[in-house]
Amino acid sequence: MTIVLTGLASGAVYALVAIGYNIVFLSQKTFNFAQASLMMLGTFVAYVGVAVYGLPWWLVTIIAGILIGAVAALQEFVGIRFVSEHFNLLVTTLGASIIMEGVAQLIWGGEPRPVPFVLGNDVLDFLGGRVYPVEIVLVIVAVLLVVALTQYAKRSMTGIALLGMSEDSEAAQLRGVNVKRFAFAAFVFTGVLAGLMGTLIGPKTYAVATLGVALAIKGFVVLAIGGFGSMWGILVGGAVVGLTESLSARWIGGDFANLSVFFILIIILMVKPTGLFARVRERTV
Amino acid sequence: MASLWLKVRAIPGWVWPLLFAVILIVIPFVGAPYPIVRQIELTIMLALIVSGVNLSFGYAGELALGQVAMYAAGAYTAGLVSKAGQTDLLIQLGAGALAALAVGFISGVPGLRLGGWSLAMSSFFLILLVPDVLSLFKEQTGGRNGMSGIQQATLFGNPIDSETYYVVILVVALLWFAVMRNLIVSRYGTALKVMKRSPVLASSIGISVYQTKLSAYAIGAIPAGLAGVLFANLDRFLSPEAFAFSFAMTVLASSILGGPASIYGAIVGAFILQFGMNQSTTFQEWGLVFTGLFLLVGGVAFGGGLSGFARSLVRRADKAARAQLGHEPPVVEAGAIEKRDGSVLEAKNVSKAFGGNQALSDVSVVAKPGQVTAIIGPNGSGKTTLLNVVSGFYRTDSGTIAIDGEEVQGLAADKVARAGVSRTFQTPYVPAKLTVHEAVEAGRYGRDRSTLLSAILRLPSYWRISKADRVEADRSLALVGLNDARDEMADSLPLGNRRLLEVARSLVGSPKVLLLDEVASGLDEDEIEILADLILKLRDAGLTVVLVEHNFRLVLRLADVIYVLAEGKVMAHGNPDEIENNPRVMEEYLGVTPEDDSQKKGR
Repeated sequence: MTIVLTGLASGAVYALVAIGYNIVFLSQKTFNFAQASLMMLGTFVAYVGVAVYGLPWWLVTIIAGILIGAVAALQEFVGIRFVSEHFNLLVTTLGASIIMEGVAQLIWGGEPRPVPFVLGNDVLDFLGGRVYPVEIVLVIVAVLLVVALTQYAKRSMTGIALLGMSEDSEAAQLRGVNVKRFAFAAFVFTGVLAGLMGTLIGPKTYAVATLGVALAIKGFVVLAIGGFGSMWGILVGGAVVGLTESLSARWIGGDFANLSVFFILIIILMVKPTGLFARVRERTV
Repeated sequence: MASLWLKVRAIPGWVWPLLFAVILIVIPFVGAPYPIVRQIELTIMLALIVSGVNLSFGYAGELALGQVAMYAAGAYTAGLVSKAGQTDLLIQLGAGALAALAVGFISGVPGLRLGGWSLAMSSFFLILLVPDVLSLFKEQTGGRNGMSGIQQATLFGNPIDSETYYVVILVVALLWFAVMRNLIVSRYGTALKVMKRSPVLASSIGISVYQTKLSAYAIGAIPAGLAGVLFANLDRFLSPEAFAFSFAMTVLASSILGGPASIYGAIVGAFILQFGMNQSTTFQEWGLVFTGLFLLVGGVAFGGGLSGFARSLVRRADKAARAQLGHEPPVVEAGAIEKRDGSVLEAKNVSKAFGGNQALSDVSVVAKPGQVTAIIGPNGSGKTTLLNVVSGFYRTDSGTIAIDGEEVQGLAADKVARAGVSRTFQTPYVPAKLTVHEAVEAGRYGRDRSTLLSAILRLPSYWRISKADRVEADRSLALVGLNDARDEMADSLPLGNRRLLEVARSLVGSPKVLLLDEVASGLDEDEIEILADLILKLRDAGLTVVLVEHNFRLVLRLADVIYVLAEGKVMAHGNPDEIENNPRVMEEYLGVTPEDDSQKKGR
């Protein structure tokens, strides 16, 4: 049971990355490879705020949200807005992510820094397994976020406009949706989200500069399983990736954790390339 | 000055890189210190990997960094072979290239089916797996501690000393770049350029997009594998850290900086990153940040990299020099159009729906050789859908499509093109970075097969086919009256000429059925005359011509048979006289009825 819970908790972290991917994907039909690196910066802000300066966790969370939101805004402005070819966004978001990793490396070095959790780091007995409090909270937050975002998308004007944009950005524009500004807002929002999560993710993963790449790829696998653009799919995908990782590490061997996830990715891409929960559209010329 | 420049430009382009290679080879023998020599060795290996990336990223248009995993595969294969007692470098190079090729195929087959981010991410994942896989085979590879005990390499039984090894590395690189150059400067290279810009156009001229991408990705594995073998024998120690994600970023940054769509840009980019990174300790600390900046700035600002920049400078100098000396483009006579063997195209009871929208229902059309078959109808009546179904871009829901009795429905677009159907598009697809002549030449891709091997080795069959391609392209251009624009960039043409370019391209492969989609719109009167004249000549030569057109007068003038589509059905068909006097056609298509005249005037 402990293994299942730990797996679900890592799955929740990957799901949080995937949520960020999805929001940008819905608004601009691209991925922000740097999403996970924004989260990595968030964990460092949490580390500095909580562990170094001893500030209260809620204040640190807010500061991190603002700071990382600003970083995301900067990234959008420098590396997304003026890229004419869609194809090049692959390169520029990758570049942005590498810059963030490099900067974190310069400031804090390569050593992982522990981030204390507000509810303590005492192991709890829960449903017959032993977990850290932060792991339970992570799972709850991931589920709540997905529920909240789906409801928001359905009920608010902003959400509807966003969904409209993802269906047909030209039509949305004709209906009076400022597509550029929306895409920017959605992008910054994912940055704010990444910052807010710093105090949650940090205690689980530690603040470490190399966090970005691994998280970015696992987050993508989550999305590939769940289906690009599908919010509910993220929860399933997160659970699958997290559990695959922890179960294969436990039962087959530590070296198989990544290999098993990769195997699942390849199977999904071969068998159902749109993921489990996304609609299919016929290719048009 | 200008004439001197043109004389220099008349020297074949491959002389310069060869000269550069010769200069590099003598460097250690004129007293360069070992650290510099070693830097050059590492640069050359990096350049080999970058060259593989360029082939799939720059030319085939797919970002995949699996080359780093292939590099690792080559290196460890060489290590294992050497530890097993086989120290001959040539055997190791062969084995390493094969191992890399295998990794390329295994990772390319699923990833390339989807392309884009899926391919990029699975290739990144592949790099993350390298240490895991090595650790699985700890006994053989040393796992995370690294692999030691690699023997000194031998060549023809003699041990290789470090100076000879330097020469060996350069010779391997020289051979690879010769292969790469021969591939790119051939139909295959043109096919890659067309495919990157427009997969739709590529399949319409008989290029299988998936196979071509896979071949580019797989061939790109070879230099990575070779670099791996060379690397393993350089230090005779391998550690998984050499194949980390950050190294993949260095490779990508070199590619972007040197110019992804270039042959020798790989060397330029590799030199800058390799020497830059190791010159000062500050740069080492800032390495990641700089790499990231190269990617970010490169992606935003310059698509062509340094080599793209250099190329545009050279082109400008060429143009200036020619203008100064008054250069005349060669005059080509179009000549008479020889006899063409058209095929009967028959679509029977074809239906096609998109969701709830029935775009075609039960449409039957026959187009015969030596006739112009026109398809007209209002917007949204299914004309273009019909063409797309015929040329294999959409699958039919029901019904059959046959060319000379041979059913082609359900075949992929590139197969239909190879069966002899060529077409133009409503919005002309004009690939960037190709000259007008090259863009037309690309239309011959589906004609006779020329193997990659014949291009790499420049066999007689390669020269024969490439000569035929050049001559036919010139003739085709002359037919549409574009031979003056021969050496201009294709994407700089105005709309009218783009359409004529498409017509020239669709003719150049001697098709059996020619589909023209609204080819006269956007042409001025002179151009329409050239086009009408050409269509009639082609008809008289025996070709099957299908014309989708809005210009009713033109259709009446050119067509032998007219089909009128309305709401996805064939509403009427017959010769121009019958159609012109068909009251339903007047009403539906022209919007006039005899009784309606008074109202129409009132509006």
